[in-house]
Amino acid sequence: MSFFGFDTSRHNPTAAGFSQAHNPFAGLSNNDNEGDALEFEETYDGLGDQLDETDDAFNDDTFGGGDSSAPAPVGKDFDFFGQTAKVANVIEEEHVLFSRQQPAPRATQPVAQAPPQPSAATSSYNYAPQPSYKPARSGYEKYKEEPVGELQVDAALWGVAPKKHAAPAAPAQPAPATSAPPGRKMMSLEEIEAQMRAQAQKKPAQAAAPSPAPPPQVQQQQMHYDQGYHLQQPVQPVQPMQPQVLPQVLPQVLPQVLPQISHAQVKEPSYHPGHGHPVTILQRPQSKHTPPAQPAVQPALQPVVQQRPQPAAAPIQPTQILQNPNRLSGDAAKLGIPSHPTPPMMQPAQPAHPTHRSQGSFSRQPHMITHPSQLAQLSDEEKAAYLEQEAKRAKRNHKIFLMSRDNGLMTPQDKNFITRIQLQQLVSATGNPNEHGTDESLSEDFYYQVLTQIQGGQRQHPSQPLNNFAQTYLFQTGSRQGGMRRHNRGPENHMQRMEQQVQRAVEAAKNKPKNKQLVIEGSLGKISFSNAKTPKPLLNIKRTESTGEVNRPGSAHRVTQPVNGTDKKSALRSIEKVYTILMNMEDHDRTMPPPPANESDAEAVQNFIAWSNEAQLLNTKLWEALRIHDQTHHGNVHPFISFLSYGKGKKAMQRIFRHTTQEQRTTVLTLIVVNLDNLDVVRGAQVTNGDTRLDAAMRENVELFSVAVMSTLFNFMNELELDLVAGVLGIVCTRNVDVIARSRIGASMLTMILSRAEIIKHSQGGSEQSWRSWEITYTQFFNLLEPTLPHIFPGTVNTGEDIYVWQLLAAIGIGASPDQQQRLVLAVKDRVMDTVALAKTLPPDMAAQRLQNVNLFMRSIGLDVELLQ
Amino acid sequence: MADVGDEGNAVSEPLDLVRLLLDEVVLVKLRGDRELQGRLHAYDSHCNLVLGEVEETIFVVDEEDEDEEIKTVSRKSEMLFVRGDSVVLISPQSRS
Repeated sequence: MSFFGFDTSRHNPTAAGFSQAHNPFAGLSNNDNEGDALEFEETYDGLGDQLDETDDAFNDDTFGGGDSSAPAPVGKDFDFFGQTAKVANVIEEEHVLFSRQQPAPRATQPVAQAPPQPSAATSSYNYAPQPSYKPARSGYEKYKEEPVGELQVDAALWGVAPKKHAAPAAPAQPAPATSAPPGRKMMSLEEIEAQMRAQAQKKPAQAAAPSPAPPPQVQQQQMHYDQGYHLQQPVQPVQPMQPQVLPQVLPQVLPQVLPQISHAQVKEPSYHPGHGHPVTILQRPQSKHTPPAQPAVQPALQPVVQQRPQPAAAPIQPTQILQNPNRLSGDAAKLGIPSHPTPPMMQPAQPAHPTHRSQGSFSRQPHMITHPSQLAQLSDEEKAAYLEQEAKRAKRNHKIFLMSRDNGLMTPQDKNFITRIQLQQLVSATGNPNEHGTDESLSEDFYYQVLTQIQGGQRQHPSQPLNNFAQTYLFQTGSRQGGMRRHNRGPENHMQRMEQQVQRAVEAAKNKPKNKQLVIEGSLGKISFSNAKTPKPLLNIKRTESTGEVNRPGSAHRVTQPVNGTDKKSALRSIEKVYTILMNMEDHDRTMPPPPANESDAEAVQNFIAWSNEAQLLNTKLWEALRIHDQTHHGNVHPFISFLSYGKGKKAMQRIFRHTTQEQRTTVLTLIVVNLDNLDVVRGAQVTNGDTRLDAAMRENVELFSVAVMSTLFNFMNELELDLVAGVLGIVCTRNVDVIARSRIGASMLTMILSRAEIIKHSQGGSEQSWRSWEITYTQFFNLLEPTLPHIFPGTVNTGEDIYVWQLLAAIGIGASPDQQQRLVLAVKDRVMDTVALAKTLPPDMAAQRLQNVNLFMRSIGLDVELLQ
Repeated sequence: MADVGDEGNAVSEPLDLVRLLLDEVVLVKLRGDRELQGRLHAYDSHCNLVLGEVEETIFVVDEEDEDEEIKTVSRKSEMLFVRGDSVVLISPQSRS
């Protein structure tokens, strides 16, 4: 059998790793190759029974002493290690191997091995010489091979393995050796080891053994153990055979044995549960029930033990059991393996346990055994309660075990080390605080940088953010640790240390040379630093200015575009270019050096000049990209106007105005006004009397235009002087005023222009001459607009979307002469009357709203709607 | 920004064309017989897309039908992140 895919055949029992004592095993291994089944049975037979009885007492002792079948974690619990060490390191190794082998063999052995083994059993009894048989058959040889250190890990595996074995074994077991085999099965490798240990411990352990004790036998067994652990290991395999042998031995059986047997029986049931195989469990119970039958067997077993030196083997089981209890307390707790409580109760829980480790299973068994002996004295209820408790405990331990499996993988130093590395990475990634705001940090973390800039100079103090960061990190770490582990001191000290480390790391980062490269004296090359943020450059290709040249073709390409400059793609390209430049400019703004405090600060002046030049360069670029001065070709829309026909183009307006000069803005405004009737939002959104419905896209467009462009222009317009305003209005007069006025955007634009003039008038601004020119322009404009006035209202009266028209009318009226006002009233009289009439049919609040709109106009010419009512 | 060249007009890679579609309504074909139509808010070199006001159309062939008619299932999302590995095609949508 090869568990976990081990190749048993590969096993070389005689491997150098094993001591000479192992040699017997080597022989066994050879046997193994011949037939696994036989070996198992052998182990099952006599040994188990014998061992159970005598060993129980010893087991307790040994367990109490401390078993350490596995050198690894398990070993801590058990004293085994030390004891074994005393005996011989080699022996220990063997034990380990044995223990591993044994668990599996037990399970399997019962099934098939029992029958054939009889002869073998006898031979096996003479363990010392024949130990080899047992191991070979067990198929656990692999385990033997495994180093002791691995045992812990293996144990987990074992837990699984045992189950497998048990399942198959279960059916067969009943048949083979009634009570005896099960008992042996019960004995796991661990148990055997425990026995061995017990022997090592010798008498003291025996004395400790609570269970029935066949003192003499036990002692003998112990002696045997002392002589050679090898023997013990083989013994288990042999055990199966023992039953058969027993009869022979029977005569020898001592009265003492009987009591032991009874204990053993009790224990046996528990063992099975440990294996986790229901079948085994069932068998065990039977064994319990069958006590009467067992007696017969027991005698046999006892005799066997006594007769042969093997008695040790028989006792072994008991001792193991005894020992196991100790182990259980120790190992189980450590391993988290729940000790197996009573057999019946345990069965459900145990299956899970087996998975833990072979050792674990052993330990369980011992518990079981010890308890059983105790249980015998208990009432059913007490037993049940005890079992239940035991089961719970087992479960909990198992859980703990699972959770803590990887505990201690890393030492505190390891953790410290890792944390330090991480911190340094973080600090270096965060970079030198002094570098914040540089291009590099911006390109790395643009949105964060901008956000912090917007939120205000929280970074004024360079080290502040880092400290915050570090403290946060530390705090979290500390609290988490504190929560998870309750070591009070640990976390705090750890935290403090971490804090210091962080501070040191920060300091180090600050002191780190800013250069990306470091030339160490005497070295032949440069060392380039790398961190998470700026990985070490593997290729160092300088981006020369020629790169720009390479891209020039694009601009050259652009030159050709104006030819058909209105096509969509070129407009989109223009937009992207504008955005790119805008971003560059905004980025450039962020790097604006403080204006030189005084003329003498040459460096500051120099910086500022350089910055200004760069800004100027960017501005020129932007201006070019806007293509304001591109010539419109016949029948084509001006590139800038098509630029504005895109949503993103409109959205850029605000930013464009922020980065352009007053003169440029004026130019833009002029250009827009000149093309006012060519704007898609004007031309495409004409209102007609009947249909004001614009499709959703156009509505959206109009909305966006008024939000993005009009508001920008409005702000700009509010700074214009009267002559400029008059000029703008004059431009409007050269366009198709009718078209302009019949769109919402156009009307708003007109309103804007007119109201600006009115505001200037109120503020006593403007020269007399400019006012005169304004008057002329206004009159011209009014004359142009008058015919359109009745038709500029969107939709019918009912739609109520005409507020902007009333605003326009108010703007017109306020600046109009009395004569013009009269013509104005005449032009829109119908609409006014309709609205007033409609207002009477509307709910008060809506009516008030409508009337208020009309009043905007009425009041501008010195009237009021109330006069009409 | 440093990550964007000075040459807004240069088309040096296919995605530069996609850039022109930013903030435009695009038609995106996806694997699995799906199409998306929405406003392109963002993209990256993996063709991961962020779309706004998306209408997703799934073409389903009803095999039970003898005609195997193609049915469409559509739904709308306000905002959608599209993982690039499913993008087959990105096309400008003719302006309405």
